[in-house]
Amino acid sequence: MSYIEVDGVTKRYGDVVALDDVSFEVPAGEFVIVLGVSGSGKSTLLRTMSGLLQPTEGRIVIDGEPMTSPRPEVAMIFQQHNIIGDMSAYSNALSGGIHRTGFLSSVLQLQDTSEKHRALEALDTVGLLEESEQKARRMSGGQQQRVGIARALVQRPDVLLADEPVASLDPGSAQSVMGCLRTASEERDLTTFCSLHQVNIARKFGHRFIGLRDGRKVFDGYREDLTIDVIDDLYGDIDTEGMFATDGNRSKETNEEAAAT
Amino acid sequence: MSTDDGRGDNETEGTGAKPTVDAKNTPASDGGVRNDQASDVPTRIREQFENIKQTRRRRAVGWVALAGFLAFTTVQAFAATELLDPDARLGTFVDSLSEFFPITFYFDVIPFLDFTQYISFMRHENLLYDPEIGGLLFQWPPSTADIYAFFFTELGIFQIFGEAGITLAMGFVGTMVGFPFALVFGTLGSERVTPFPFNFIFRGTMSFIRAIPAIIWTLIFIPFLGLGPAAAATAIAFDTIGNLGRLFVDELEEIEDGPIEAMRTTGASKPQIVFFGMLSQVRTAFIAWTLYIFEINVRIAVTVGVLGAGGLGFIVTSQQNLLQFTNMMATLISIFILIISVELFSQRLRSRLRADDIEMSLWELITGFPRRMAESALK
Repeated sequence: MSYIEVDGVTKRYGDVVALDDVSFEVPAGEFVIVLGVSGSGKSTLLRTMSGLLQPTEGRIVIDGEPMTSPRPEVAMIFQQHNIIGDMSAYSNALSGGIHRTGFLSSVLQLQDTSEKHRALEALDTVGLLEESEQKARRMSGGQQQRVGIARALVQRPDVLLADEPVASLDPGSAQSVMGCLRTASEERDLTTFCSLHQVNIARKFGHRFIGLRDGRKVFDGYREDLTIDVIDDLYGDIDTEGMFATDGNRSKETNEEAAAT
Repeated sequence: MSTDDGRGDNETEGTGAKPTVDAKNTPASDGGVRNDQASDVPTRIREQFENIKQTRRRRAVGWVALAGFLAFTTVQAFAATELLDPDARLGTFVDSLSEFFPITFYFDVIPFLDFTQYISFMRHENLLYDPEIGGLLFQWPPSTADIYAFFFTELGIFQIFGEAGITLAMGFVGTMVGFPFALVFGTLGSERVTPFPFNFIFRGTMSFIRAIPAIIWTLIFIPFLGLGPAAAATAIAFDTIGNLGRLFVDELEEIEDGPIEAMRTTGASKPQIVFFGMLSQVRTAFIAWTLYIFEINVRIAVTVGVLGAGGLGFIVTSQQNLLQFTNMMATLISIFILIISVELFSQRLRSRLRADDIEMSLWELITGFPRRMAESALK
């Protein structure tokens, strides 16, 4: 099983430090929630772990192999779903397993039956079996996000990374999406990394918590360690300092986006 | 209240009283007051006003200079096109017009455009309908053998429309044959697919194809396929690679990164990332552009026909050479009918594709066409 080692990871965009010497280790099967305000480096951390970004310094090792590029064992769920709107939920789910299929058979959807069953199973896990022939674009935000989860599950990963999966959803959908994520990772024994900014949801679903602030790791502990003081430290000063930090945070985020494109 | 105050100040100033209120706003240094009203406006505002005035003035001079330059250049262009001293023959033109629009007299008094002449030529030359092929399909009682013959031995779907059918088929073949090449060239020409210097191999090829108009491509293919619809259709296909491929490249510039990243994290291969992450985002747009190019290709099919490649275009030139202007006009009307029908069909389909409402299937679109036409005609 997968064992994640993040070792002294620093990520800079020009002068902006998005991640500053972050280190931790995660044994297989944990459900980790990364907490922090916008611009604290959560996205950068997850994108670096997925191999979409390369750290400026340090390294990330998953299952004994450093992440130098995206790997099928590490699946990612995005805030904006990033599913393909023109395809059905089923086709989207199926596209998670295309690394096991050749180009032509994936284009013509000639995967073998077990693969297709797997896609439907994943849709069942996220509660969308009935809607599987619906076009993804016509689904609600929560449903689209669940299609994204199904696609990640079809990939048959060992590690599931979720970058703010519920940030653009209403509270009800957010609960059900988080529930799906939790069920899926328990059923399939996945090591899950999920970034969130809603503390209440985090407390409800997480086992272990990693807190980021201005790119630095300021907290790492289990549910019982996540006291109100810790949360205050992560978020509490947002009323006062937030007003001064807004500009800095915003520019950091735009830089991130610029670097990502 | 404040405006009242301001007006009051103006009045006092106008009568020569001391500007007491605005004294601190108007420094003593700006003595060059041109009128009474300006003196109570703060310097900052007056400076900005002068700035704007100057910029405007400079811009106006620029526009005048540009207009002068354009006029000068246009005169030169007129000279180059011999329009300054044209060899105009108005009489001949008017004569030809009366042949273009033949007039008949109802009851020997009411002048009326003689449509019958047009229609008789259209029927004589099978411009819009070929009764020999059409007869297979439309007869009573229907004959299965003839219907089979219509579809499978005579291959009459296009030929039933006579010369217009040939023109339409040239545009259609050109689009169908050109499309896959345009797809390949357009995709490989995108910088996101092929890294920078190499994508210019494909973009360059497409630019080269575009630089030469379809009518010239037809001339190039005549030695290969002979003067006829085959050369024309091939030329149109070639032209499609250049034009449609370019539209594809442009469309691919505007796709989002999200789905591409998502496909990367699934561990997809490079071609799979291109297909699922990129092409799936532009599928609708590509279909819409292809329909648009099909419209254009039917028009091009008319122009290349003029060379002698067949279809309506060829009838236009041959009648023009015979100075049969009435017949020429009949052909032009047929062209108009063909082009308008194609555009109606294609635009209808494209707006369906673009508007993301409940989809009307292609079948509904075709079977519902007469009803919708009738409805819109009655409005």
